[in-house]
Amino acid sequence: MKKLRSIKLLSKTTLFYLVFTFLAFFLSAVYLTQEAEEFIHDELQHRFNYTEKKVMRQIRAGNYPEKLPSNVLLFQLEKKPDLTADPVYSDTLVYNSELEEMQLLRKKTIVFEEESKYYKLIIYKSLEDFYRLKNDIFGALIPAFFILAIAIVLFNSLLSGSLFKPFNKILSQMRTYKVGIGAGIKSVNTSTTEFRKMQQLYHEMVERIEHEYRNLKEYTENMAHEMQTPLTVIRNKTENLIADEDLMQKHSSTVKIIYDETNHLSKLGNTLNLITKIENQEFNNAVRIPTRAVIEKHLEAISEVAKLKSLEIKKELSQEHILFIDPFLLDIILKNVLRNAVRYGSEDGPIKIKTTADSLSVSNFGPPLDVSSERLFERFYRKNGTRASQGLGLSLVKKICELNNLKISYEYGNNQHIFTIISNVE
Amino acid sequence: MKLLLVEDNIHLADDMHNFLVSDGFVVEHAATLHEGIKRINIYHYDIVIVDIGLPDGNGLDLIKKMKSNNIDAGILIVTAKNAIEDKVHGLDLGADDYITKPFHKSELNARIRSILRRKKFNSSNILTINEIKVDTLAAQVYVKDNPIMLTKKEYDLLLYFMYNHNKVLTKESIAEHLWGDHIDQADSFDFIYNHIKNLRKKIVNAGGKDYIKSMYGMGYKFCE
Repeated sequence: MKKLRSIKLLSKTTLFYLVFTFLAFFLSAVYLTQEAEEFIHDELQHRFNYTEKKVMRQIRAGNYPEKLPSNVLLFQLEKKPDLTADPVYSDTLVYNSELEEMQLLRKKTIVFEEESKYYKLIIYKSLEDFYRLKNDIFGALIPAFFILAIAIVLFNSLLSGSLFKPFNKILSQMRTYKVGIGAGIKSVNTSTTEFRKMQQLYHEMVERIEHEYRNLKEYTENMAHEMQTPLTVIRNKTENLIADEDLMQKHSSTVKIIYDETNHLSKLGNTLNLITKIENQEFNNAVRIPTRAVIEKHLEAISEVAKLKSLEIKKELSQEHILFIDPFLLDIILKNVLRNAVRYGSEDGPIKIKTTADSLSVSNFGPPLDVSSERLFERFYRKNGTRASQGLGLSLVKKICELNNLKISYEYGNNQHIFTIISNVE
Repeated sequence: MKLLLVEDNIHLADDMHNFLVSDGFVVEHAATLHEGIKRINIYHYDIVIVDIGLPDGNGLDLIKKMKSNNIDAGILIVTAKNAIEDKVHGLDLGADDYITKPFHKSELNARIRSILRRKKFNSSNILTINEIKVDTLAAQVYVKDNPIMLTKKEYDLLLYFMYNHNKVLTKESIAEHLWGDHIDQADSFDFIYNHIKNLRKKIVNAGGKDYIKSMYGMGYKFCE
């Protein structure tokens, strides 16, 4: 499809309106001119006839050639002319010495017989006034058109605010709509049929989406929940097997695999469920959290592990680092980022955690990644496909950041992997 | 100790039942909320274990019923993981503790014991297995009546073993008990080994027997 330039509806209608008005004006002008022409013709005809009759009267009264009107020439003819011929009309320019300008005149030439004498009569009538009238039609219509055009443009631009207010309201509702909170859409009051129709369709659409969404959500939730109980059963039964020493002597490796995989599946289900819940923004008790105390709590929880791995942890925590987030989500972020650092940190240097007024960064030493850093945040991305971690931690963190106006980035430098979370992202 | 288990999954209930009976509890089972409410109104229980998601209603209603009828039993709620609203709500209503599915039976046992201890049903705060004695109030461990110094983790570990003596504790279960999900489990196994090594050493040095036995690389057992 050809890409079209985006034009405001009102500008578009205005433009079309102007074009059509112009055409309408033009056509009416043409029509009016024709009408005027006809009127001029009729009027002149009438005047010619009047003068003609007057001349005849004068001839009959024997006043010829003394008392004739000034715009008439009358000649007596010697021979009999063709009396059946039509009168001849012609327009001619004559210099008027009084006004010192050329004047357009219409000339009517007729021949007739009166009291056995033949005459040729030429009558002149001025066309000036008529043609001025005719030109005035055009002259009046053009300014009228421009006045109208300007009025329309002004009117529309003034009107667009109030006329399109409901439309813009509906648009902003659409913009802020989030799946799962559909019940809260307020009706916009409008008497415009089109907007009403749009609003109605929008509401119906939202309802359908909400319905489908609820179904899907229930399905996912039920899945995750229903899966857990059988998995618990499997795990418990496996634990029973583990308690059986005779059996374990023979089958310990098989039992171990069943046990490990069950645990893996169960954790996976839990984490996926958690991601779904985060995506649905079910954790929305966002509060202002000064992070220092929270981070220290997490550092304490991992300090032991770090010590056993001979990893030093250096912290530089600012009191000004404050996040507006659900505490549970902050816990998930910290847990995953720190766990990651401890997991992949090498003994070449300390794990560093640093906060400033608007950033939080965690770094650990280690060899560079063997794949591109973009894939780091993908679901199920794992180093060499190991099963030791789920491969969901960082994608989880990224999701939380996206939904909480935070920006997480990764870089590698000086043998260190650095994750930075920047707050107050516009 | 009499215990009511309100759980709709028959396999899970069976398994928990067997496990708890083998641990010396008298266990009664209700498969529905309705049956659970009926039972708590008729019989006396020391502990009620209630699953939140029951086929005929929310397990939290059982807690409300118990509180309004002044039934004073320890309450342990079982929830699906991540259902934090349920947890919070349950604890607000007066539940003593919660455990999330899927749980290790040994963890369940430890939670029950801990509720009993807090509720003082067990009049004594002293837990004794042969020469090892634990004062849970002072968090002090004695071997042959000599106090020994344990770290917090070693103490938690010993208590977990003693609550679940003669039972295999898998590494996963120990890791979850000690660290929750703060560390990757694969990592945690080395740390468990470390802690157990130190714990053994401290007990043996104080003249105690080495009770902790490794089980096929899957876990450990505190053998009496």
